[in-house]
Amino acid sequence: MLQTAFNGLVTGIIIALPALAITLLFGVLKFPNFAVGSMMTVAAYMVYALNVQLGWPLLPATAVVAVAFGFICIALDYVTFRPLRDRGGITLMVASLGLGFVLENVARFAYGNAARSFAIELARPFRFFDIRMNREQMTAMVVATIAMALMYVLLTRMPVGRAMRAVADNPSLALVRGIDSASIIRWTWFITGVLLAVGGVLIGMDRALEPPMGTSYVIAVFSAAILGGLGSPLGAFVGALLIGLVSELATLVIPPNYRIGIPLCVIALVLIFRPQGIFGQMYIRR
Amino acid sequence: MSEVFRVEGLHAGYGAGDILKGVDLCVATGSIVTIIGPNGSGKSTLVKTLAGLLRARQGEILLKGASIRDYTPPRRVHAGISYVPQEYNVFRNLTVLENLKIAREFMSGGRAKGPVVSDELVALFPELPSRFKALAGNLSGGQRQMLAFACALTVKPELLIMDEPSAGLSPKYMSDIFDCIKKVNDTGVSVLMVEQNAIEALRISDQCIVMATGRVRLCSDAASVLDMPDLQTLYLGDAASGHESLNRASAA
Repeated sequence: MLQTAFNGLVTGIIIALPALAITLLFGVLKFPNFAVGSMMTVAAYMVYALNVQLGWPLLPATAVVAVAFGFICIALDYVTFRPLRDRGGITLMVASLGLGFVLENVARFAYGNAARSFAIELARPFRFFDIRMNREQMTAMVVATIAMALMYVLLTRMPVGRAMRAVADNPSLALVRGIDSASIIRWTWFITGVLLAVGGVLIGMDRALEPPMGTSYVIAVFSAAILGGLGSPLGAFVGALLIGLVSELATLVIPPNYRIGIPLCVIALVLIFRPQGIFGQMYIRR
Repeated sequence: MSEVFRVEGLHAGYGAGDILKGVDLCVATGSIVTIIGPNGSGKSTLVKTLAGLLRARQGEILLKGASIRDYTPPRRVHAGISYVPQEYNVFRNLTVLENLKIAREFMSGGRAKGPVVSDELVALFPELPSRFKALAGNLSGGQRQMLAFACALTVKPELLIMDEPSAGLSPKYMSDIFDCIKKVNDTGVSVLMVEQNAIEALRISDQCIVMATGRVRLCSDAASVLDMPDLQTLYLGDAASGHESLNRASAA
């Protein structure tokens, strides 16, 4: 039970980063980006190229790719979403589905369908009471916690973070408060790229690298963001932990193969009983 | 008196039709100009166009003699125009202090120095410091309006544009807001406001502009408009259909 709960916590922390990326993008650009899974996959393969093919240690490889992927996301926005920005959220969502399909197949074209893994030294698991923690899990928890703390500082203490929240809150008021929304959109994509790159690496450490690796997390990631309240960064974090915990604990009573159904059930229940999620606000169309 | 702001032949609107059909006005430096008119006369469309939220289709907008017609809203802010919308005028999910910080950081284009909230601002809005940590969305309507007003003043603007500053306020806040506008104006800030509460607004104004059907139908000094015995009729909507006072004034 404790071990299962710990595993759930790790899963939750891993999906917290892409959930935060989704919720930031949704807050600022008002569309659900279904390409997050494939974006994580591509970023993870980029890290694989530096780590395995060029022999870089995993940490600097991840850092370099995270920054590079931030710029790649700005470029992807420029060619994919920006021309469609005035067409509304549904159009952008469909575009994100298409982009995800393209990106996943770019990864497949480059590296094939075979499962791969990062070059990480094997290490003996660490035991704390009755909980067995392996090094990848510890790394995931530390990295994700640091990333979330940095995001908190960015969003609450730095002008660009406050501006992102302001644009998410009221875009037209943000304009007349002197905020250049185009610049904030670029920042949002950059941060999204960094979060997705780190998230992709954590997923790649947790399981094998393969083209559908990111896509297989999309439902869990979206259910975390929806449970927490789309647009709420704190909600994304709490929602991710809850989804991770519930999904793992559910395997105590249902066969593990059906675990994927848990986030779907959570989405259904949230949409029925609290559509705005735990920390979200009711969206009023006006 | 020199003029800080001028609009010439302004056309703007939504969809195919124009709502503003050739608006001309000017604001003298250091003055308060109030725009009144019936519902649907284009007042709010005009201030949105002046703030840059709606594209001007034709005409010219000049701030201190320089055209700002093609400026984006942030660039207009940096040029010296502060705009206070009628509603949704604060970031509801941010605290009062965060609202003020954003205004200070971005309205100045990053050039602001000194404290986020100056002593002058605290003197104008003494309630603000005690509410710094409150979410703006949890404030009362009057407090939100005061916060929006304070945000617009974190950087001293050349021209303050306000869209119905007293809308939905209790009598106490209504009186306070007009007092504040007058005090701000006394510091040298020119003010252009749209207001339904015509009598209160005109009492502190230098000039009055009456709009109807997307055009300026009357531009006169505020005192003489206040003296018109049938101001209420004028304000409520007969302006467009040839009201006696209006026609008299227009002819003059």
